[in-house]
Amino acid sequence: MKARPVEGLDPAAPLRPNAARIALTRLDELRALAEGALEPGAATAQHEMRIAAKRLRYVLEIFAPCLGPEAERARDAAKALQGGLGEIHDCDTMLPRAEGIESLQMLLQTRRELHYRSFRELWQAQAQSGVWSVLQETCRDLDTTMDP
Amino acid sequence: MARAREVPGFDCDEPFAHAAARVVSVRAAEIFDYSDGVLDLEDVEPVHDMRIATRRLRAALEVFEPCFPRKRHRKALKRVKALADALGERRDRDVAIAFLEEVAEGVASNDRAALTKTIERLREEQRAANEALAPAVAPKRLKKLRRRLDKLVKAAEA
Repeated sequence: MKARPVEGLDPAAPLRPNAARIALTRLDELRALAEGALEPGAATAQHEMRIAAKRLRYVLEIFAPCLGPEAERARDAAKALQGGLGEIHDCDTMLPRAEGIESLQMLLQTRRELHYRSFRELWQAQAQSGVWSVLQETCRDLDTTMDP
Repeated sequence: MARAREVPGFDCDEPFAHAAARVVSVRAAEIFDYSDGVLDLEDVEPVHDMRIATRRLRAALEVFEPCFPRKRHRKALKRVKALADALGERRDRDVAIAFLEEVAEGVASNDRAALTKTIERLREEQRAANEALAPAVAPKRLKKLRRRLDKLVKAAEA
């Protein structure tokens, strides 16, 4: 999955508004993928959301000092999300190898279901905590100093 | 897991391109520092650490893309991606083997022989992935990559 291009970045402008614009794009990308990934068996959508969480996490790892404490909270949330979706992905990549090993297949399917439920609860808890909406507001405020 | 190093002089009010030079310089140094012992099949941590360092460098190169000369950036990113892929092929097998060994107890006794075979197959793939990784982490190849990344950093500083 290719990352969505970030429009209007300016190498000569200060780092902070550029960072806000990048983080905002990566956050939008993550949120847009959530609906599909919340379908229990949507392996591809869950994989794509994991990649989006990873991208946002790395962006926030670099830019958190410029975006405030909200960005640090969001970075930790993105890392947790990436980890949870990673557990699901590990089961999905392992399942073809379990072909013909019935008890292993059952074990992987059970694990997948548990990890999926944990992911869904984590996403809901993160949305309720406001971690994403606060990051969005912060980045929008900081981005206003640059041209559209 | 290897923690990302602090970037000295990182300043949110300095030009985006100057920050690009600082961040890429530190992240590039990290991958070379973590290259020791990556081909050791008995110890899975070095390959994991180098892979994470490579991911961080790749993320930095992608994030700061507009700050670098386009052609030079594209070539550097391509080399970093190739390194990340080679490390990933090895790491995926390390993870799969560890996972199957961990769950082996929960597998029915009549499935144990098949599970052992699957792990053996994975070990063969792990060795093959390691052989494919060897040229990518050879000192000469890494030095070349380092020179390429140094030039990129200089261009962003200019």
